[in-house]
Amino acid sequence: MFQILVALADGEKHGYAMIKEVALRTGGQVRLSAGTLYGNLARLEGSGLIQESDRRPEFALDDERRRYYRLTELGREVAIAEARRMEEAVGQARAKHLFRKPKLV
Amino acid sequence: MSMPGQKPLSQRLFRFAVRVFPFDFQTNYGSQMEGVFNAQRREAEERGGFVGLLRLWGETLAGIFRTAPLEHWEVLKHDCSYALRMMRKNVGFTAVAALTLALGIGANTAIFSVVHSVLLRPLPYPGGQQLVFIRQQALKVGQDDWGFSPKEIEDFRAQNRTLSGLVEYHAMSFILYGHGDPDRVRTAVVSANYFDLFEVKPLLGRTFVADDDNIGAPPVLLLSYEYWKGKFSSDPSIVGKTFEMNDKVHTVVGVMPPLPQYPVETDVYMPTSACPFRSSQRVIDNRDARMVEAFGRLKPGVSINQAGMDFSTIASRLKDAYPKSYPDNIGYAAVTAPLREELTRQARPTLLVLLAAAAFVLLIACANVANLTLARMSQREGELALRTALGAGRSRLLRQLLTESFLLALAGGTLGLALAWLCLPLLTDFAARMTPRAREIQIDAGVLIFTLVAALGTSIVFGSLAALFARANLTASLKEGSAGGGRQKNRVRAALIVSQIAFSFVLLVGAGLMLRSLVNMLEVDPGFHPQRVLAMSTTFSFSKYGTREQFLEVGKKVLDRVQAQPGVLSAAIASFYPLQPEVITAGAAAFSGQFRIEGRELGAAEAPPLGSEPVVSPDYFRTLGIPLRAGRLFTDADDGKKLIAVINEAAQRQFWPHEDPIGKRVSGDNGDSWATIIGVVGDVHDFGLTQKVTPQFYVPPTEGIGPNTLVVRTAGDPRAMSSLITRAVHGVDSQAAVTRIRTLEEVRLESVASPWLTASLLGIFAGLALLIAAAGIGGIMALAVSQRVREIGIRMALGAQPMSILQMVLRQGLGFAALGVAIGLLGAFALTGLVRSLLFEVKPTDPLTFAGVATVLAGAAAIASYVPARRAASIDPIKALRCE
Repeated sequence: MFQILVALADGEKHGYAMIKEVALRTGGQVRLSAGTLYGNLARLEGSGLIQESDRRPEFALDDERRRYYRLTELGREVAIAEARRMEEAVGQARAKHLFRKPKLV
Repeated sequence: MSMPGQKPLSQRLFRFAVRVFPFDFQTNYGSQMEGVFNAQRREAEERGGFVGLLRLWGETLAGIFRTAPLEHWEVLKHDCSYALRMMRKNVGFTAVAALTLALGIGANTAIFSVVHSVLLRPLPYPGGQQLVFIRQQALKVGQDDWGFSPKEIEDFRAQNRTLSGLVEYHAMSFILYGHGDPDRVRTAVVSANYFDLFEVKPLLGRTFVADDDNIGAPPVLLLSYEYWKGKFSSDPSIVGKTFEMNDKVHTVVGVMPPLPQYPVETDVYMPTSACPFRSSQRVIDNRDARMVEAFGRLKPGVSINQAGMDFSTIASRLKDAYPKSYPDNIGYAAVTAPLREELTRQARPTLLVLLAAAAFVLLIACANVANLTLARMSQREGELALRTALGAGRSRLLRQLLTESFLLALAGGTLGLALAWLCLPLLTDFAARMTPRAREIQIDAGVLIFTLVAALGTSIVFGSLAALFARANLTASLKEGSAGGGRQKNRVRAALIVSQIAFSFVLLVGAGLMLRSLVNMLEVDPGFHPQRVLAMSTTFSFSKYGTREQFLEVGKKVLDRVQAQPGVLSAAIASFYPLQPEVITAGAAAFSGQFRIEGRELGAAEAPPLGSEPVVSPDYFRTLGIPLRAGRLFTDADDGKKLIAVINEAAQRQFWPHEDPIGKRVSGDNGDSWATIIGVVGDVHDFGLTQKVTPQFYVPPTEGIGPNTLVVRTAGDPRAMSSLITRAVHGVDSQAAVTRIRTLEEVRLESVASPWLTASLLGIFAGLALLIAAAGIGGIMALAVSQRVREIGIRMALGAQPMSILQMVLRQGLGFAALGVAIGLLGAFALTGLVRSLLFEVKPTDPLTFAGVATVLAGAAAIASYVPARRAASIDPIKALRCE
């Protein structure tokens, strides 16, 4: 879910673009399928973190059934909070020399 | 695009896979998902070819099947909370519906728990389905279960090829000394390998071994779990203790685990060598001393039919070898049946009728709740229509409604389960009258599953009934306002009402027939006066009073002492008394034997006359109020030097229809001795009020052995005399066991307890049905009246009298009832054949019952319609017209 929020951080996207963006950004480690993507979108949309965008870029590519999603204010806040939490966790791990430890052995 | 034909196929496949999502999810995201998938597919094909495509499919399907259950769960959570909110908003509706369903589901759960434990579950022994019961029959002389003699057991054991084991069993009643008061114990005398056949391991000690069966072996006992627990407080050091029985010291070698015992509950088990009768040479050598029953275990892979043929072969071999023991005219045969079937033969028809009745109650409850739901739906029409308009799909609404009904049914089911649990002890008592398996009755996982399935099925039935109607009407109601579809809706509701009445009719007819049959039973003249008579079993040690003289003496002493008690009018001893429960259970055939009448020769194939030979002391007839019809009764002066007998009228009718039987001679021992008939007494229903009276040849104690029941007529309340009489018996022999003290009034009621309970259960079911149906009629008429206020107002404004309006509404209500009764009549004709076997002197199509039930239903419909009819008649035309 976090990955989807991040994917939408720099602007609205349609489903396929989100999958591609996530895959690209994580170096292919996170591969979303159509089912998991829309399951998550439904959940995010239901809790008001994202919303369907009414604007449609007038691409020739744009398919009629393609819909675009964007972050809501709340969604952005949640994504930031989550990123902060992770950052803090990483910082704490670093302070305890978690990452260096294997080299000492 | 390398393979153009592939595109539509994988698209179709994908669409198909997407269907596992909830409907709303499909609507919202289905086409988008398809778009994403198509794009992914194009990319995968371009990059990875066929392998890439396969990989994509794998990931996609995994994603779908991981996500879909979550989505369904979300919808369910939402629907449930919505449904709970609606239920809270409508507490009245919810309570009535849940209660109705609880009654329906509870009745089914209760009856099913009995059916499940008694008829369906395998016997609680390893490989229980391979256990069989073997019977010898002599049908032409009325012996359905002739029993086996030890000689026959030997033959069948040696000659059969289909059993892995065959054991014998017979029940005795002995007195156990050495632990407090002398205790009369129900004793099972069994073969040494009895427990091996049933594959029962002892809880303590050991079971019997082959040596225990040798004549002269030291007597040993096994205690049943219940007896050990009850009498010896689960004493762990019981094994090795000794008790005296039949003048011999018996050692306890083991205790049984807590298992149901067949065919009857037993306190102690002993091997055949320890039973004084079974081990006597007289019995062992006599092929005709049939006193035991036989159980077997089928060899693996052998069917019951094969075993049946095997036994027929043995039977015909025996017939050839011993023509004197198996004459042609008795209809000798050997048959076998699965033990489970044998144990439940009696209970099956009653239980199935009750299960059918309970199912009917549930159907009526369903129809009623569907009707209630419809009524509530018309209040909710606006809400539902709005939700449709806002884009809720029809299947979405159906799902919502089904969730609501399932929650309702679940509430009803839980309540029903509690009801069933409350009724279980009663039902167990009831079933115990019909089958030894009753003590196995419990609410187990199987019953819980049944209840859940019943609740689920119920909710689907009434939920979809309501939803179907909703589908038909939603669009209409949006277009035309709330009055739309009213006609059709009323028709659906009327159909539901009519079906409720039809089902109620069938149930009421069933209950009515049982009631009529019960009344017939109670009206049977038992042939004796049960008022103020006390009966009890008095058992004296067989070893102490072994000879007839000793027995006669102790019997006379007991009678003298009892008769001397204040408040005792008369007393007698007898082999058994009329309607004695143990005697009814054993059946008339168990007491009847073949007779010869002097001067009459039988044809070769002619069945010999049959009758029973109760031993009774002179005052027996006076004590029970059995009238003398001709000749004289026994007196104390009859010393047994000349053999005499008193017969009943049934014997006279059958054997001397046109002659005077007094002075004629009969023989019960194939001509070895002859007794002269000295009197004729009235017929007594000894073996059950519904049983035909069979010929009786009463003989005095000087001619029989061991009468061990005592009957006493008292001046006042017989119950109050019981301790006095017990003390009197103990005054003669302090070691005598006085048990089963009952009044004959109790005995008489007890003998009809089983039909009485069946009738009551059916009556309760039918009463519930009637109540539900009447409430249904009342409800629908009230609704119809409120919908027709305007029309009625116009009629009244045009001069219709309130009385005619009242009649109009009543007519409509009765119309429903008439239609329901007509349909129910057909159903009843088709179904009452099922209860035929339970009825006594009533035809399953008894016109009186049918007419009575129709009247009752019509009356209920009239009463139920009267309230709304009154309301209709009191409508003020001006107000009615103005408010529209």
